[in-house]
Amino acid sequence: MSNHNNNSTANYGTTISIESLKVIAESVGIPSLSDDCGKELSEDITFKLKHIIQDAMKFMIHSKRIRLMPYDIDNALILNNIEPLYGFSSADHIPFRFASGGGRELHYTEDKEIDLSDVVYNTTVKFPLDVSVRSHWLAIDGVQPTIPENPPPVSKDEQKLESVNPIANLRKKENEKELHGKPTTGKIYKLRNVETVHVKQLATHELSVEQQLYYKEITEACVGSDELRRTEALQSLANDPGLHSMLPRMCTFIAEGVKVNVVQHNLALLIYLMRMVKSLFDNPTLYLEKYLHELIPSVLTCILSKQLCLRPESDNHWALRDFATKIISQICKAFNTSVNNIQCRITRLFSDALSNESSYLPTIYGAVQGLQELGPQLVKLYIIPRVKIISPRIDGILERPTSSNADKVAANQIKNILIVINSGNLSSMPPLIKFFAATFTCDISPSNQMLMIHLTNNAISYMITVSLFNSSEFYRTSCHITK
Amino acid sequence: MDVDSPILDIFTNPPSDSGIVPLKAELSPVTEEMKIENVESTPPTNLLDKNVLSAVIQICKKYNLKKTEEAFKSEVHISPDMVSVGSETDVNKLLSAYKSEGNPDLYKDTYADLLKFVENSLDIYKHELGTILYPMFIHMYLELVYNGYKDQAVEFMRTYGPKQEDYYQKDILKFASITMKEQMRSSEIVETFKSNAFIIRMSRDTVSILKRHLNEKDHSILSNIIKNHLYLDMYEGVARNKGQIEITAGGMIGEAKREDNKAKVFYGLLKEPDLQCFYQAEEDDDGDGGGDPDKPKKKKAKKDSLFYKKVKTDPNAPPNDRIPLPELKDTDKLEKVKAIKESSKRITLSAEMLPSICCYTLLNTYYAVSCTEISEDASMLAVGFSDSRIKVWSLIPQKLKAMKNAEQLQDINLEADDVLQRIMEDRSAETTKTLIGHSRSVSKTSFSPDKTLLLSCSVDGTVRLWSLLIWTCLVVYKGHLSPVWDVEFSPHGYYFVTGGHDKTARLWVTDNYQPVRIFVGHFSDVDCVKFHPNSNYIASGSSDRTVRIWDCLTGSQVRLMTGHKGAVTVLSFSIDGRFLASAGMDNSVLIWDLAHGHLLAVFGGHNERIETLAFSRDGNILVSGSQDCSIKLWDFTKFTEDITFDDINVCHNPDIKKNSDHYLLRTFGTKHSPVITVFFTRRNVLFTVTYKKSDDTEGIVKLLYKNFN
Repeated sequence: MSNHNNNSTANYGTTISIESLKVIAESVGIPSLSDDCGKELSEDITFKLKHIIQDAMKFMIHSKRIRLMPYDIDNALILNNIEPLYGFSSADHIPFRFASGGGRELHYTEDKEIDLSDVVYNTTVKFPLDVSVRSHWLAIDGVQPTIPENPPPVSKDEQKLESVNPIANLRKKENEKELHGKPTTGKIYKLRNVETVHVKQLATHELSVEQQLYYKEITEACVGSDELRRTEALQSLANDPGLHSMLPRMCTFIAEGVKVNVVQHNLALLIYLMRMVKSLFDNPTLYLEKYLHELIPSVLTCILSKQLCLRPESDNHWALRDFATKIISQICKAFNTSVNNIQCRITRLFSDALSNESSYLPTIYGAVQGLQELGPQLVKLYIIPRVKIISPRIDGILERPTSSNADKVAANQIKNILIVINSGNLSSMPPLIKFFAATFTCDISPSNQMLMIHLTNNAISYMITVSLFNSSEFYRTSCHITK
Repeated sequence: MDVDSPILDIFTNPPSDSGIVPLKAELSPVTEEMKIENVESTPPTNLLDKNVLSAVIQICKKYNLKKTEEAFKSEVHISPDMVSVGSETDVNKLLSAYKSEGNPDLYKDTYADLLKFVENSLDIYKHELGTILYPMFIHMYLELVYNGYKDQAVEFMRTYGPKQEDYYQKDILKFASITMKEQMRSSEIVETFKSNAFIIRMSRDTVSILKRHLNEKDHSILSNIIKNHLYLDMYEGVARNKGQIEITAGGMIGEAKREDNKAKVFYGLLKEPDLQCFYQAEEDDDGDGGGDPDKPKKKKAKKDSLFYKKVKTDPNAPPNDRIPLPELKDTDKLEKVKAIKESSKRITLSAEMLPSICCYTLLNTYYAVSCTEISEDASMLAVGFSDSRIKVWSLIPQKLKAMKNAEQLQDINLEADDVLQRIMEDRSAETTKTLIGHSRSVSKTSFSPDKTLLLSCSVDGTVRLWSLLIWTCLVVYKGHLSPVWDVEFSPHGYYFVTGGHDKTARLWVTDNYQPVRIFVGHFSDVDCVKFHPNSNYIASGSSDRTVRIWDCLTGSQVRLMTGHKGAVTVLSFSIDGRFLASAGMDNSVLIWDLAHGHLLAVFGGHNERIETLAFSRDGNILVSGSQDCSIKLWDFTKFTEDITFDDINVCHNPDIKKNSDHYLLRTFGTKHSPVITVFFTRRNVLFTVTYKKSDDTEGIVKLLYKNFN
């Protein structure tokens, strides 16, 4: 509205359509408005409307807003000696709804009927808060403190630009002007202002004393034993602006931590580190693409590692794997581009783990879970075809008395997850395929077995396997078939 | 509101508007060249003359001036058929300048021809010639509309409208909405264009080229328009280049004439009153109080020097008695001493020493905040709301108190030292107080220099004076009748200025219910007004994209400055009174020199409308706050060092600083909160006031809130 954009030039001579006028006329009881009459009216009304909106803009400007409100229109009407429209003062946006039928198209606003008695007798209505004033430091001696009240020193868009387009970053450095209220330690900041010759600074990741303290506190709290402190620390990681400058350290901390603790099978610490990762990804002011090369391997390790805890038979390392897969899917959603191909690469990693005959069972579990999180399409493409290879294996483990406890637990876990996946898949199938599936499962004759062996068509095998996994009983029968 | 309606009615359709204003247009001064034109193109002149003459007769008849009429008739040898023609039609129509018998299809070709001519002319004249394209376009369009050629008019607008400059597009849209003769009368902008000549500055050479072209082609349409609606302000010298033209272009009705800015402006500061005795008294008090017996003596001496150095007189300063100023009371003097003492503690800002910024955020506003104002000593914050309330907050630990009632006041010993504290009622202490009185949205507030009074103006057309001692309304000033957009107390108190939707700025004194000066001249709403630090002048910014300076003594316009590309919404004088900063809808800050009325610099960079401007107390830094949720700090010291006044030509300034980045010190963003006030405290701490944009859930709550009330 306030911009002198060239698009506005396209609006010369726009008028209210005669159709709309006819509809309006109908609503006030004039059934057939002639076209000529409509034309005259529309010209007149358009002019008057534009006139009123122009006046309303003045009220908007003087109310220090850039959003036109209903009461601006009211004021404009009063200015022109017209009775304002009562009952249209809503502070929020009222969207237009569209309806068509009987060859007519209509745009209208939803006008719900409100039962007044509800409003009158409803005691739970919260009274709105009165206007209040709150103060904070926007800058101290020209340096903007990184507190929640202030915007992040480096906005997410800038961080994104920095990591996606390093040339822009370079250019920015060339005409080095610290125009933004970047928090810099006093010393560097002064130097920059004085120096005219640019000396490339060596320690660009230098942290202020406060930031070092913060880093120490946060990392200690995150991996420490005090759950309350940890929650606070994670909260801080997820919400605080201005962590941008500490990200390299944080990410290295996490990556190194995972490396060490996987070797030592320290499940608790791995969980803590993953929670840190999750918090960082949740922080709306951070753009983490630059650090994915450290974070993704760490997270994947927590999904696919053959052993994450000291007692695989009793410790719940499955929860960690589940949690980590959720993070991976979050990463894929946020950062996958056609250039970095993150999703594709992660998928390949999972499917390799799945198709590798010698994979450990926990690894298979992680791969299945990971693929499952990444989307139903991948389930069809990678998991379903593998089911008939995986299922005898876990079946064997479950039935063999010599197999270790840990393996049995793992096998059970995989079995459960496969069932969940497939039952979910079945319910989302079209009814016709469901029917086919049902007939196949009911009538398992040798010929059907043959058919199944010969059918290489992905679709059909998918159908069958899915139906076989419909319930645990069918799971059993499927084992018979494949034998 | 009911009371106001009939008055408003009179206002929006003033009797003078229909009859007298167009007359003025017809009889507006014609320049020398134009008279030459007159002789050269006779046929249209005759027609016009006839119209004018019969109109004069009509007016004579209307007011029953029979003798004049007869004398007039005999003098011009008017034929009787003409009188009859006149009597049949309405005076208005006859007076209309847009009557034309031209072929409607010719307009498009003529304009195309004009475009071609401008395009093909020599580069040095091209851009100056280009300045006539826009007014020509508008007047041709209006002629088409006036004569009822609607289709041709719309076609003309569609073809050439988008070709006009960006900054005219908003006005063009307003014109484009007018497609019928009847609509022309109710349109403010058409009225403005009809009754005022569009001012174009051109070098002598350019004018002669234009004239030659018109003679060659014999375009009666063009020459008619030039004659009736354009004013070519000719100057000697080289034609200006594109940049120079563009920078001062943008005014609704063209540029400033040369003589607009000829008057002398006393932009210096007034001599400070002698406060020495008070200062001494204060000093003694400090000593007696024994607060710091071992305060170093040296410091005191320093303070003293600070006190005495202001005695030298500024040659550009007006005499102190140029306009009568209120005499300082003892309390005022004490306050001044306090201010000076405090200012001795302030830090001097510079590019290396940037200010600390304290941000006050208004929460739960539901978009209802319409203005905010901080008192000079940073003790109070006044907020005006669109639901017509005014709220005053105390920004210091001392709470806001009301005065005791009359009986209790009688008991107070007037001799007591702390009598000022004693008269206040302790039980009334609150951090915030509400003033209720306006009937519609409050558009601006202003504290008096002694902080005992508050002025507010409102969309309901009134200005109210409130007492901050008894917290009630004292006076209602009615005069504007339509929305009042801005109000400001004079820095010396007593006077105040308002600007409003009725295109006037008015000067008032607090003890008179009628304005003492009415400044008329703007072509659109006066959006902002500002007192010069010496109280002798008033600056006004308007939606007609001009800034004007008015002399309080004579009431005349002494400066007219064009160059803004959007409405001007905020003004600020520099601390030394020499410069004026203005900003507005075009997202840039313009710096003007009051001595000649020249544009000196354009600071661009904001992405949204600028709402507020402030100079630091030492004048080194200019701060702008905007709707784009950021404030920008500009290095004003560097700017004043860079400008040279040597090569300033009388008619235009060739060296305009446009390199914003060069002067931009820092940008500070707020968190999605538009900045609506910036203010420097006496110690040079920057205060900003922002409001939180409410989200939709709050809107619903607001709806319920309204239901309940």
